[in-house]
Amino acid sequence: MSKESRMRATVNQKLTEMGERERLKELLRAKLTECGWKDQMKAHCKEVIKEKGLDHVTVEDLVVEITPKGRALVPDSVKKELLHRIRAFLAQHAT
Amino acid sequence: MLSRFPIQIFQMKMEDMPLSGPDNTRLEALVHDIYSELVDDACLGLCFEVHRAVKQGYFFLDETDQESMKEFGWCHVFSFFWPICIFLWCVSLQHMPFSITLLEIVDQPGVDIFGQVYNQWKNKECECPNCKRLIAASRFAPHLEKCLGMGRNSSRIANRRLASNNNMSKSESDQEDNDDLNDNDWSYGAEKKAKKRKSDKSQNSPRRSKSIKHKNGDLGSGVSTEPYKYNYNTGISYETLGPDEVRSLLTTQCGVISEHTKKMCTRSPRCPQHSDEQRRAVRVFLLGPSAPSLPDPDAVVESESFDIPDGQTLMSRLQWEDSPDISPTDSASSKAIVSVSVS
Repeated sequence: MSKESRMRATVNQKLTEMGERERLKELLRAKLTECGWKDQMKAHCKEVIKEKGLDHVTVEDLVVEITPKGRALVPDSVKKELLHRIRAFLAQHAT
Repeated sequence: MLSRFPIQIFQMKMEDMPLSGPDNTRLEALVHDIYSELVDDACLGLCFEVHRAVKQGYFFLDETDQESMKEFGWCHVFSFFWPICIFLWCVSLQHMPFSITLLEIVDQPGVDIFGQVYNQWKNKECECPNCKRLIAASRFAPHLEKCLGMGRNSSRIANRRLASNNNMSKSESDQEDNDDLNDNDWSYGAEKKAKKRKSDKSQNSPRRSKSIKHKNGDLGSGVSTEPYKYNYNTGISYETLGPDEVRSLLTTQCGVISEHTKKMCTRSPRCPQHSDEQRRAVRVFLLGPSAPSLPDPDAVVESESFDIPDGQTLMSRLQWEDSPDISPTDSASSKAIVSVSVS
């Protein structure tokens, strides 16, 4: 394992162990709902479903359609806040 | 390994600049990777949620069709508070725009979901079906309650009025029965209203002012129709009574004169506050050494022909019988003599 991957593994482990990952997930979900991202995505889902047919739509279909759009539609403010928090965590627990 | 990075690199300011430097790019890349993971997680969560809703059949529930839009607003107006029901019935009679039946869901600005304008009740007036007056909408329900005479408050007020009316008529008509009524031990039906009665009496009774006048030394004035000067709140003042009255009183009441108020105790002759010795002393004081002894608890009713002017037969049947020879005219004449001698 390279140093970098070891470092990443350590960081990820710490994130999970200290509960920070969960907290960040919750924070992100709350922010996305608040800013209307969730409703936007749901509307997009409806289109996909109507396109594919209600009975034949699969998880894969949805994932393939939703994920790229979802990533792109996250508002800048939400993105900035999350990055800030991640950096802060790393700074605090870097040693 | 991370300790290789100098600490000041991790200074966080609110304007968050990405970290610079070769090692820091790796760190920054890490930060972004973590962020992407979190976003992917959120998207996947949403996909699963939507997929489940689709397969379980509740995905499209928030969209209603035209038909159900019309039926949606079934207004539940029949609450437990009935004046509101009557109010709304009156309102509907007057053909106001707000109807109580089916309402269509509407999505327009300036109007609520049922298409009504906010605060349209403020300036509406309704005609009362009873008194035909125009009442403001917000005052309508309480007005109805009083106007129709139904509902809790109006019956309470009516009861109180009846009680005070009964008091007034009763007290002015018959003097003897008031003796009994004053007794704290037993008073049929007057117990629960005793407190209210007393307060009503003290406010409304014409006697109150008359007895006060009389105490101030104004002897000849208040003698007209009120031979028994009872002040119900504080007891009986023996100065204003003739010997016959005193005797009759003492047969039915304790009669012990209070130190502070100089009034006779109106309770039963066996009241626990005073002793028999005190009662004997009072009788001697008021009626002379030959005063009759305290009434026997088992005394038989004296005369069957005793006529009670008031219809309150319950009072008369109770233990302490009034002596039958008191009449208003007697006491009126003897009072002047007594007040001179006693004082």
